[in-house]
Amino acid sequence: MYELSQYAFVAAFVALAAALLLHLVNVLGARGLQALSVGGGGTVSVPTFGPILDTAGRYGTILTVNSFAFLTASLVFRAIAAGHGPFSNMYEFSLAFGWGALALFLYFQFQYRLRTLALLVLPIALGLLAYATTVPSEITPLVPALQNDLLLTVHVAVAIIAYGAFAIAFGAAVLFLIQRRDTVRWLPKKVLLDEIGYKAVMVGFPMMALVIILGALWADIAWGTYWSWDPKETASLVTWLLYGAYLHARVLRGWRGERSAALLILGFGATLFTYYGNLFFGGLHSYG
Amino acid sequence: MVETQGSYSAADSGKVLPAVARGGAAAARGGLWEFEVVGRIWRFFTSVRLALVLILILTGAVLVGTLLDQIPPSVLADSSAHAQWLERARTKYGVWTNAFDFLGLFNVFHGLWFRVLIGLLTTNIIVCTLNRWKGIWATVFPPRVRMSDTFFQHARYNATFAAPMTLPAAAERVKRSLRRSRYRVKMEADGESVAIYADRNRFSRFGTFLAHLSLVLILAGTVVGGMWGFSDSEFIVAEGATRDLGLGTNISVGLDHFTDEYWLEGPPKDFRSDIVIYEGGKEVKRGVTRVNSPVSYKGIRFHQSFFGQAAVMRVKDEAGAELFNAAVPLAWETRDGGRPIGSFDLPSQGVTVYVVGPRSGETDPLVPAGEMRVEVYKRSGGALVAAENVSQGTAKQVAGLNLTFARESRFTGLKVVKDPGTNIIWVASALMVVGLIMLFYLPHRRLWALVKRRDDGTAEVRVGMTAQRDMSLEAEFSRLRERVASALRGAKGGRTSAQGDNDV
Repeated sequence: MYELSQYAFVAAFVALAAALLLHLVNVLGARGLQALSVGGGGTVSVPTFGPILDTAGRYGTILTVNSFAFLTASLVFRAIAAGHGPFSNMYEFSLAFGWGALALFLYFQFQYRLRTLALLVLPIALGLLAYATTVPSEITPLVPALQNDLLLTVHVAVAIIAYGAFAIAFGAAVLFLIQRRDTVRWLPKKVLLDEIGYKAVMVGFPMMALVIILGALWADIAWGTYWSWDPKETASLVTWLLYGAYLHARVLRGWRGERSAALLILGFGATLFTYYGNLFFGGLHSYG
Repeated sequence: MVETQGSYSAADSGKVLPAVARGGAAAARGGLWEFEVVGRIWRFFTSVRLALVLILILTGAVLVGTLLDQIPPSVLADSSAHAQWLERARTKYGVWTNAFDFLGLFNVFHGLWFRVLIGLLTTNIIVCTLNRWKGIWATVFPPRVRMSDTFFQHARYNATFAAPMTLPAAAERVKRSLRRSRYRVKMEADGESVAIYADRNRFSRFGTFLAHLSLVLILAGTVVGGMWGFSDSEFIVAEGATRDLGLGTNISVGLDHFTDEYWLEGPPKDFRSDIVIYEGGKEVKRGVTRVNSPVSYKGIRFHQSFFGQAAVMRVKDEAGAELFNAAVPLAWETRDGGRPIGSFDLPSQGVTVYVVGPRSGETDPLVPAGEMRVEVYKRSGGALVAAENVSQGTAKQVAGLNLTFARESRFTGLKVVKDPGTNIIWVASALMVVGLIMLFYLPHRRLWALVKRRDDGTAEVRVGMTAQRDMSLEAEFSRLRERVASALRGAKGGRTSAQGDNDV
C-alpha cells in the first residue's frame, strides 16, 4: 500500500507539472495573440493558433483532473497503510493541502469555466508537492497527543478545504490586481474575479471557523485547555480574523476592489504562515 | 457586521438613530447635551469601519504576541522573576527590551491594551447588532408584496412574459412554479392584477446575529472560566503518594502507577496514570488518565500532561524513628545544567532535603548512575548543612540523618482544570457554525412578480429580483425564469433582461 501511494504521488506530480505547462501555453499564447492583434500584426494567426491553444488548455484541464485523481489515490493508499487519516506529519499534510487546492480549483473551474486561475493555483499545488519530496515520507506511528482518530481526521480535513479555498481566493485576487482596468483581454473580467474571490472565502471562512473550533475542542480534551495562544492557534486566529476583515471590507466604500484584493493576498500569506508556522516556532503543534 | 445588502453607508453615517441624532438640535435649544454625547458615542460604535480597523489592529497585536517571546503569567506575578526574565530577553532583543516591556509587548494576551481592544470590538459588535436588528427584521417580517412598475423596470434581474390565459390562472401557475422551487409565496390581488412575493431562507439574515453573538458569548465564557474556574497545570504526584489538590477543594489525588510505552520505531505510544481521587479523605473515584482521555470528577478534569523520574527516599533520625518514607518527584532542573532535582521538608529537624539525580543520556561525574546526590539545607536562612552522594539501597549518615535512596520511581504531572466557562464556549461555537452556514450557504432570496390583466383577456407576468450586492443571482434567476416560463405554457420564453454587471 505504501509503495502504491508513492507511485500515485509521482504520477500526480508529473501530471500536475504537465498540466501547468499546458495551461501556460494556453494563457501566454492567448496573450501573445492579443499583443499581435493589438500591434497591428493582423488577425491571420488567430485562426491558425487559436484552436491549438484551446486544445492545450483542454488537455491542461484533463491532466489536472488526472493529477487530482492520482493524488486522491495516493492519500487513500497511505491512509490504508497507516491506519488513520493521512494528516499526521508535514509530508502528509503537504499532500493534503495540495489536494485541497486542486479540489477547490477544479470546483471553481467547472463552476465558472475559468482556466486562467490555473496559472496561480497549480504552481501553489505543485510547490506543495515539491516540498513534500524534501521531507521524510515514512509512515510514523501516532504520538499520544494525536491519538484521536475522529478529531485528527475531521480537524485536518476541514483545514485542507479552508486552505484550498483561500488559495483560490488568493489566485483570484492576484488576477484581479493585474486586471485592474478590465483592459487585459486574456484575463477574466474584474467583477468575475472579485466574485470568485468572495465565493472562495464563503467556503473558506466558515471552514476555518470550524477548524479553530475543532482544534479548541481537541485541545480541551488533550491538553485541558481550549486555548493557549500556541503559535499555530494564534496564526489560525489571525488568518480567520483577516478573512473576517475582508468580508467587512468588501461592503465598505473605499475598501471595495483593490484593497479587498490586497486583504485576500495578505490572508493567504497568513494561511501559509499558519501552515508552516509550527516549524519556526515549535509550540504544541510541533509534530512535523 | 457582515451585511450583504447595501445598507452600510446609512449605518456608517449614523442615519439609523434619528431620535438620537436629532438630539443635537435639541441640545442647542434645550440643553439636552447628554443626548448628543450618547448619540455620538453610539454612532461611533455603529461604524463597520471601526470594526474593520479594530480587527486589523487585533490581527497585528496577535502577530506581535506570537513573534515575540511572552512572559509566563507565573513569572509576571513575581517582580524578581520578571527582572530575570527581562535580563534573559535582553540577549535576544537588545536595546529594544525595555521599550517592548514598557509597551506590554511581552505580555500581549493578558495585557491591558489587548483587553481594551477586545472590549471596544465587543461594544462595536453589540451596538452594530442592536442597530441592525430593526432593519433586518423589517426586510423579513412582514415582506412587502406589491412593488411598483418602476421596480420591475429597474430590478437588476427582470423578465416579462405573455401568458395566454386568464389573470387568476396565470397567477396560480406562477405561484405553483415558485413553490416547486421551494420558495414561500405570498399574494395580494385586486381586480386588475395579482402581486406576488416569494422568498427562500428568510432566516438567513439572522445568521449574522448568531455569528456575532457567538463572539460575545465566547468572551463571556472566558470571563466565567476566569471567575469560577481554576487550574493547576503542574500538579505533580509521585507513585504511591497522595497530594491535596488545594484550590479551595477538599480533594486529594493519589498515583498508583504511571506507565509510558513506546512504538518500536521510537516515538512515544502511550502515557497513562492510574489515579485515585479522594474527597474528604474518602476514596470517591479511580481512573486511568491518558493524553486523549482525561478523568473527571465533579466538573474537575485531570489531564495527563507530563511525567518524570522520582526517587524513593527513607529518612530516620538518630534514634531510629522514621521521619520520611516516600517517592520524591525530581520534577525540576538544576540551574547548572539539566540535572533532575526535587525536595522534601523535615520540619522536625528544621531542614529541607534536595535530591539530585544524574544527568540523563551521559555519564555524569557529579552523580553517577545508581546514585542520588543529597543536599541538606537549613529551612531558616537556607545554609547548606551537608551534601553527599548516596547509592541505591545503602543507608548513609548525612548531617545526623540516616538516609536511604531505596529505589527509582516515577511521578506524573497532571493538569487539573475546572472551567465552567467551557460549556458556554461550545454553545457559542455551535452558534457560530450555524450562523455562518445560514449566512453563506442558505442565502436569503427574494422575488417579486406582478400579474396583470390585458385588454384581450390574457395576462402579462413581470418578475424581478434584486441581488444582494456581492452575489450574482445569475444562475438562480435563470433557473426560476425557466420554471415560470414553462409553467405559463404557450408563453414563449418572454423578453428578459439581466441588468447586472456580472454577465460573463
